Amino acid sequence: MNVLANTLKATIKNIVFASVVFALSSSLQAAELKKVEGDVATPALKLESLKGDILDLKDEAGKVVLVQFWATYCTPCRVEMPSMNNLIKKLEAEKVPFKIIAVNMGETKEEVQKFVDEVKPEFTILMDEKGENVQAWNVFAAPSNFVIDTKGKIRYTLYGGVEWDSEEITKAIQDLAAES
Amino acid sequence: MNQSFSNIRSTLILVLILLSSFSLHASDEIKSITTTDDSEIDIRIFMPKGKHSNKLLIGFACDQGSSTAEEKTSQSLADDGIEVWMPDMLSAYMLPKVRSSLSDIPTDGLVKIIEEAIKIKKEVYLVASGPDTELVLRAIADWEKNHAGSDNLLGGAILMFPRLNKSKPEPGKAPEYQDAVGKTKSPLIVLEGERTPNRWGVGHLTNSLKKGGSTVYAKLIPDVRGYFFKRNDPNVPEDLVTSQMSGLVKASLFFLGKTHK
Repeated sequence: MNVLANTLKATIKNIVFASVVFALSSSLQAAELKKVEGDVATPALKLESLKGDILDLKDEAGKVVLVQFWATYCTPCRVEMPSMNNLIKKLEAEKVPFKIIAVNMGETKEEVQKFVDEVKPEFTILMDEKGENVQAWNVFAAPSNFVIDTKGKIRYTLYGGVEWDSEEITKAIQDLAAES
Repeated sequence: MNQSFSNIRSTLILVLILLSSFSLHASDEIKSITTTDDSEIDIRIFMPKGKHSNKLLIGFACDQGSSTAEEKTSQSLADDGIEVWMPDMLSAYMLPKVRSSLSDIPTDGLVKIIEEAIKIKKEVYLVASGPDTELVLRAIADWEKNHAGSDNLLGGAILMFPRLNKSKPEPGKAPEYQDAVGKTKSPLIVLEGERTPNRWGVGHLTNSLKKGGSTVYAKLIPDVRGYFFKRNDPNVPEDLVTSQMSGLVKASLFFLGKTHK
């Protein structure tokens, strides 16, 4: 009788686990913006882009900037990129000063170019081939996101895949832009 | 008559195929160990063939039911003279074969297995992957606590793509690890895939593991993702490394053996 009860318990646990896995994998919406409390210094970020020009985060003052650390082998990164393209278009139409900088984590230009040709992100890709900025920003997982306000301060972080063009995230960025 | 003969022949062929495929992965013997709470743990033992080494590896403590690569590796290691024990921890505690069960496994079962293995008078090592590494660290820490002064009887552990975070990663913050991290003295080697974001945490994890006194080695395996030997979508480098996993384990044992006194 005990064996039967244990087997039943194990089966139910399996079903619950499978349901949770399915729910998590079928939606990108599980992650959400996390407010950064206190005065957190924004690390420097100056890197060569995939196209070969140098971008310095300091030069983007006056815009809300989404800095994302990503990799080609990261499935949520691939899935969410179209929604990042949509977010840019949405905010451009409303004349919200906004930029996305996606820092690739330690891969080669060839690997990243192949991915870009396929997924077609419409934002700046920076190459951190040695991973020095990954370390400086304390990034240990992908995608890792930092939302930076117009004065260069980190205001939100977010780990994991998300629909970036959602109403909630769009409003958060609009509000940050309106502060300036 | 002919029909019946044909049926018997088909059945015999089927039985032979089944038997031969089973023997490819079957262990040489099953040993049972009873823990203090009367749980019975079955251990598949792969006996060393040819020239015996003085090493015994307790491996893949919780394979979650998908142990094909692990069994092949164990067989290959045994062919090279290394004795391998594969305990079935989940079944022993009537736990479902899912990742969330791992934290429910009591430490004393694996500690008892380590004690039994040490009686064989070989250098004893452990290997685990992913979240299973937490159980292995927990067991080593407990064993060391109970055997202060003789902790050199344990050669160390191989942690393959260890997943030891206490909670979800937070961008901009160093990870917090489970309590078992930094509690051991035995030598450890961390193996991580080069194509996983976790590679960026290897340095931090290594430093945290060292806090208990362990010598810790860390190596990145080129061109593979985490959990490479458990993936449903392996690429060519992952298939290659999986097929040569026994070599990877032997190289790791070499590193651990250098430290083991």
